[in-house]
Amino acid sequence: MTTATHAHPEEFAFDGSRRISYRRVLREVVAYRECIWSFAIRSLRVRYKQAILGVAWAVVQPLAFLTVFVLVFGGVAGIKGGQGVSYAAFALSALVPWQFVSSGISNGGDALIQDAGLLRKVYFPREAPVLGAVGSYIPDFAIGLILLLIAAPITGAHIGWHLVFVPLLFVAIIIPTLAIAVPIAAFALHYRDFKYALPFAVQVGLFASPVAYPITQIGHSWRWLYALVNPVAGMLEGFRHVLALGVSPDWGLLGLSTLSSTVLLLLGFRIFKKLEREFADIV
Amino acid sequence: MWSVKFEDVSKRYRKGGAKYSTIGSELRDFARRMGARMRREQEVLTGTLALDHVSFEIEDGESFALIGPNGAGKSTALRLLARISVPTGGVVRGRGRVGALMEVGSGVHTELTGRENIWLYGSILGIPRAEIRRRFDEIVGFAEIERAIDTPVKYYSSGMQLRLGFAIAAHLEPDIFVVDEALSVGDAAFQEKCVERMGKLVRDGTTVLFVSHDLSAVESICDRGIMIDQGRDITQGPIKDVLAHYLTFVEERRIDLASHRWNVGTVRVMTASCHGLDGEEKYRFAPGEGIEVRMTFEAPRELERPNVTVTMTDGRPGAIVECSMVEDGQAPTLVGRQWECRLRIDSLPLRSRLYQVWAEVQEANGRGQLMDWMEVSNFRVDAPAGAGPHAVVTAALGGPVAVPYRWDVRS
Repeated sequence: MTTATHAHPEEFAFDGSRRISYRRVLREVVAYRECIWSFAIRSLRVRYKQAILGVAWAVVQPLAFLTVFVLVFGGVAGIKGGQGVSYAAFALSALVPWQFVSSGISNGGDALIQDAGLLRKVYFPREAPVLGAVGSYIPDFAIGLILLLIAAPITGAHIGWHLVFVPLLFVAIIIPTLAIAVPIAAFALHYRDFKYALPFAVQVGLFASPVAYPITQIGHSWRWLYALVNPVAGMLEGFRHVLALGVSPDWGLLGLSTLSSTVLLLLGFRIFKKLEREFADIV
Repeated sequence: MWSVKFEDVSKRYRKGGAKYSTIGSELRDFARRMGARMRREQEVLTGTLALDHVSFEIEDGESFALIGPNGAGKSTALRLLARISVPTGGVVRGRGRVGALMEVGSGVHTELTGRENIWLYGSILGIPRAEIRRRFDEIVGFAEIERAIDTPVKYYSSGMQLRLGFAIAAHLEPDIFVVDEALSVGDAAFQEKCVERMGKLVRDGTTVLFVSHDLSAVESICDRGIMIDQGRDITQGPIKDVLAHYLTFVEERRIDLASHRWNVGTVRVMTASCHGLDGEEKYRFAPGEGIEVRMTFEAPRELERPNVTVTMTDGRPGAIVECSMVEDGQAPTLVGRQWECRLRIDSLPLRSRLYQVWAEVQEANGRGQLMDWMEVSNFRVDAPAGAGPHAVVTAALGGPVAVPYRWDVRS
């Protein structure tokens, strides 16, 4: 090619070596950012294109969950919001970020199966569809957040200057979402068992995380372990502090969850890169 | 400077093919491998070897063909170069962006419109948005989908999907363009356009790796090539040599008269051979050379006036040469239980390829068969290839008769 863009064409060597370099993964993700962006846009389009309610689904889902929660946990089980906040405000503050986590895991985990046709025909970093699928839920999260803020006067949530922590918390919650979605996507391609187990596991995750109940239900001395084992617990609790109670996140819990989810993410990419080598041969 | 380099590349598919497994079978497999390792046995390699230590190099700007029968490993090689699947052994090296076109409608997402697909596919190929924008109209025009550009691709015909896929891949300036059989679909006009487009890419200095059964397209587009069979490198070099080798490979096979299942009539053919006019047995002739076909027959009794017919074909229906006693009336008066029949043809005005020799024996009155049609032998005619762009393929697949001729063109 004579055009300037091709003056120094990228050289690649493709062999059977099993080394995994995080630096190369990062470099490729950056190089293919437009590709990831396209995958995100595509998921978004495909998701809402043939739905009559369209983007309204982003509002309907958390509201439906909220109704159930308020009736079951708030009414029947009698869980209180505590600290002068209604249960509705309390539940919604964790439901909105949880929606992002669960949709991100379900769709990110399914992304490679959806794009099996592309895997067989085109080269691109194999994690791109997964990252794109998770990224495509950012608008849903934003809509949920707006809904929450609009509803704040009704639900009685304390909203204050602590809102500035929301971006930080959001970045933090992307880590465990990817940490689970990335290896699941690879596993699901190898073993379809995962595809069937995934929705079930996500449902279990909802109850294993402090969404419907406050983390204070768990004994003080066990809380740190909980935040380590459940890598979203610290983030959800942080969101709850900021979006319902109007206080700063619990930095200790947030730190523990970030630590464990970062370790998970690195491990997840390692697994993904190892399994990736056989993707095109098995789909 | 090389642009693509296969260094001793092997590819083994697990378990006899590409397929996904269950956790159970995977665990069993794992246990078996671990067991073998504990007993310090050599790990037994299972699965199909699709490529077996293949090496070749493609120069920058060269167009290169992969030729071979079905299942030879051509598509596997392309998939390795396109970085779609990973080699089991060896290294695949490439310089530059690879644009790959495999199968119908490659990478076209059916829920999205043509417009959205161009953007998606372009960015999947890692192409900057500015370049996609610059090329957009050209792609739409080439694919002939102007009116359907905002229609979801699922409402496209398969031909439109193919055209869209090819147009995107071929217009976004890849440094290395990989094409697999894509031209065999689509109407004649579009195929011609694709060949033209590929020719332009070649002229512009794009490295092209081409797989097709359209041998004349291969001959006119490619400079060099490699022929593989069952994953192994058979020959590589200038495209005309490789094509000639491939054509010979495809047509050549031995004839085993003894176990021939049709050889059960009243008259059976025992031996058959081809000879030069000097009597020496041979199976390669030059155009215009003479040939003698010798056959020995066996029958349970003596025969009166058996009518022998010999024909020659080039693998396609219809005889090219026919010499028949039922026509010329030269049947022998009486033959014993074993007899020999020689047919002498003074000149074979035939073009290069493999010819089959067939024989049939009819009764004296020509009303019944003593021996059914049987292929008894074959021979090749070899002529030096011409200088034209389709010399090898036209000589091998065109009309079979060689005539002395010259052109006289005036204006």
